[in-house]
Amino acid sequence: MRPEFRGSAAEYFRIWIVNLLFTLLTLGIYSAWAKVRKLRYLYGNTRLDGDSFNYFASARAILKGRVLAVIVFFVYAIVTELVPDSIWVFLAAGVALLPLVLVRALRFNARNSAWRGLRFDFPARVREALPLYLAMPLLIVVTLGLAFPWFMARHKQFVISHHAFGSSPLGCAIPVGKVYGIYFRSGLIIAAMTVVAVLGAMVVSPMAVLVPQAGWLAFLLPVLAIYIAYAFAYAYLQARLTNLAWDNTYGAGVRFTSTLGAIDLAGLYISNLLAIVFTLGLAVPWAVVRTLRYRLQNFAMLVSEETVHEAAPGLVNIGAAGQELGEIFNVDFGV
Amino acid sequence: MSTIAAHYFDGKRALRHPVTLVPTGGRIKIVGRDVDAEFESSRVRVSTRIAATPRWIFLPGGGACVSDDNDAIDRLVRERPLQRVVHRMEAHPAFAAFAVLLVAALFWAIVDYGLPYAAARVAEHIPVEAEDALGREALAGMDQFGLAPSGLPEERRAELAARLGALAALAPDAPAYRLEFRSAPIIGANAFALPSGIIVLTDELVALAQADEEILAVLAHELGHVRHRHIMRRLLEGSAIALLVAGVTGDVAAATSLAAAAPTLVLQSKFSRDNEREADAYALGLLRRAGIGPQHFGAILARMEAQAPRGPMLPTFLSSHPATEERKALSGGQ
Repeated sequence: MRPEFRGSAAEYFRIWIVNLLFTLLTLGIYSAWAKVRKLRYLYGNTRLDGDSFNYFASARAILKGRVLAVIVFFVYAIVTELVPDSIWVFLAAGVALLPLVLVRALRFNARNSAWRGLRFDFPARVREALPLYLAMPLLIVVTLGLAFPWFMARHKQFVISHHAFGSSPLGCAIPVGKVYGIYFRSGLIIAAMTVVAVLGAMVVSPMAVLVPQAGWLAFLLPVLAIYIAYAFAYAYLQARLTNLAWDNTYGAGVRFTSTLGAIDLAGLYISNLLAIVFTLGLAVPWAVVRTLRYRLQNFAMLVSEETVHEAAPGLVNIGAAGQELGEIFNVDFGV
Repeated sequence: MSTIAAHYFDGKRALRHPVTLVPTGGRIKIVGRDVDAEFESSRVRVSTRIAATPRWIFLPGGGACVSDDNDAIDRLVRERPLQRVVHRMEAHPAFAAFAVLLVAALFWAIVDYGLPYAAARVAEHIPVEAEDALGREALAGMDQFGLAPSGLPEERRAELAARLGALAALAPDAPAYRLEFRSAPIIGANAFALPSGIIVLTDELVALAQADEEILAVLAHELGHVRHRHIMRRLLEGSAIALLVAGVTGDVAAATSLAAAAPTLVLQSKFSRDNEREADAYALGLLRRAGIGPQHFGAILARMEAQAPRGPMLPTFLSSHPATEERKALSGGQ
C-alpha cells in the first residue's frame, strides 16, 4: 500500500504565492494561516488506500507560538552578538529545554494530523525524553562525537516508537551497528570528494593569475565542489537512515518499508537548489512538490492483517510554542 | 438542492462509510448503508476551500464527512467573504502572475525602505552602553591579531585628537566616541569604527595622508558610522533578513540551506554599502561645516585604494563598500 500525492506544482505555486503576498502585506502575521493552508493542501492531496490525510491545526495557536519564537530568536541573536559569552547560557538553556520542545512539537503535529477521521498522537512524556536528550550531549562531547550515530539511532527510535495512530502504537528498533556503518560511509564520501575538490582547485587557481577578472571564479569552484560533496553525503545519510528506520518499524498488523536512493535524493537536492537560485525563489513550490512525491513513491505500508484502528480516548489540543521554537532554531524533528 | 457523494467517518474507528448528503432546508441528512443521521446546517463546521483538496464537514459529536465535490459544498454553506476571496485568488493563474510582481515590489520596499528604517528606529532606543562588552572584545581581539601599539609621538596624537574634537564639536548631533591610535602593519592605512563608539586610526593612515584634513575626512566618515549606530543596525537587519529569507525558502530541505545563505549574503552586503554611503554623506556634511574641502576625502580614498593589497575581485553586489569611483565623484575629487 503506497501513499500518492495527487496535487500539482502549478496548483501549489498559486497557493504559495498568495500565502507569501498576504504574509508580506501583514508583516508576517498571516504566516500562521499560510502555514495551515499549505499543510492542508499537502496533507489533503496525499492519499493512502484511497483516503486523504487531514491537517487541522488552529492558525491562532500557531500564531501565538510563532510570536513567542520570534521574540526568543531576536533576543538570542542580539544578546549573543553584544555579549559573546552569553552563547553558553543560551546553549545550556537550549539543551535543557530540548526534550520539552521536542515532545510538545511532535505532539502538536501528530494531534493535528488525521487519516480516515482518526487522529495521530505522540503520547510520550517529557520525563521519558529526559535521559536520552540530556545525557546524550554530554556523552557526545566526552567521546568527541563518536557517540553521535548512536544518539541519532536512539533519537529516531524515540520519535517513531512514540507515535500512534488512534490508540494503535508504532514500534521501532533500529540496529545501532548499521547506523555506524552509514555514518562511516558518508564520512568516506565527504573525504573522497574533498580530495577531488582540492585537486580541482589546484588546477583551476593558476587561472586566477592569468585572468584576474575570473579570480572570484577560482574561489567559487572549490566551494561549489565541496557543496556537492556535502549534498551527496547528506543525501546518502538521509536516504539510508530513513530506509533503515522504516524497515525496522512495525504496528498492529502492519510493517513499513522505505526505498529512498542516495543518488536520486542528491540529484533532487542539487536540482532544487539550482532551480530556486535561478528563479530567485519562485521554484520553491515546485521543489516541495517533487521532493514530497519522490519520498511518498518510495514509502510503502505492508498490511499483513486487516485491523480496524480505534481512537485514543480524550485527546486535547495543545499549544504550538514548542513546534514554532523548534522550527526557528532548526531542531530536527524529522524521520 | 442536489445530493452530495461523500464518505463518513465516526472519529472512533478508522472505517470509511460511503454516504450521500441530502441538504433539506437548513438541515443535512446523512444517508448510507449503516449511517443515518441528521444535523442542523448551522451546527456543522466546514473546512475552507483550498484548490481541489477534499473538504471536511465536521459534525457535532466527533464524526465527520469528507467529499471531493467542492462546488456542491460551496452551495451547502456559504464561506466567509475573506476566505472566498483567498480561494478565488489561488484559482487564477493571472492573479498568480500579478502576485509575483506584487511580492517582488513588496520585497523591494521592505528591503530598501522598511527594514533599514525599522532597524534605525529600534537602534536609537538601544543605549550605546549595550555595545560596551562587544567593543571591548572587538578591540582586544584586534590587538591580539594585527594591531600593535601606536608609534606616533604623544604630541602628534594629542594634536590629532584635539582636531577631531574640534571637528565633532561643530556637529549639532555628534555622538560620544573614543579615539584609539594603533600601528597596523598587516591591515595598512585604514580607520574603523568599532562597537560602543571606538574609532581606531592606524599610524599607516597618518603616514599616507598628505594633509591633516585628509585624516579628519576619514575620521569624520567613521564618526558617521558611530552617529548612525551602524553596528547595532547591522545586527538587527541581519536577524530580520535571516527570518525573511527563511520564511521564503524555509520549507525546502535543509540541504538547500545554501539557497538561503546566498540571498542573505547579497542583502547584507547591500545594507553595508548603504551604511557606507550614509557615513560618507555625514562626513561630507561635517567637512563642509568645518570649511574643509571635500576633495581631501576623495584624495585619501584614492590613495588608500592604490596602496591596498589586491584581493580577489568581488563583483559589486557582494562588496561591502560602494565602488571608489562613485565615492570620489561624490566628494568632487578626480
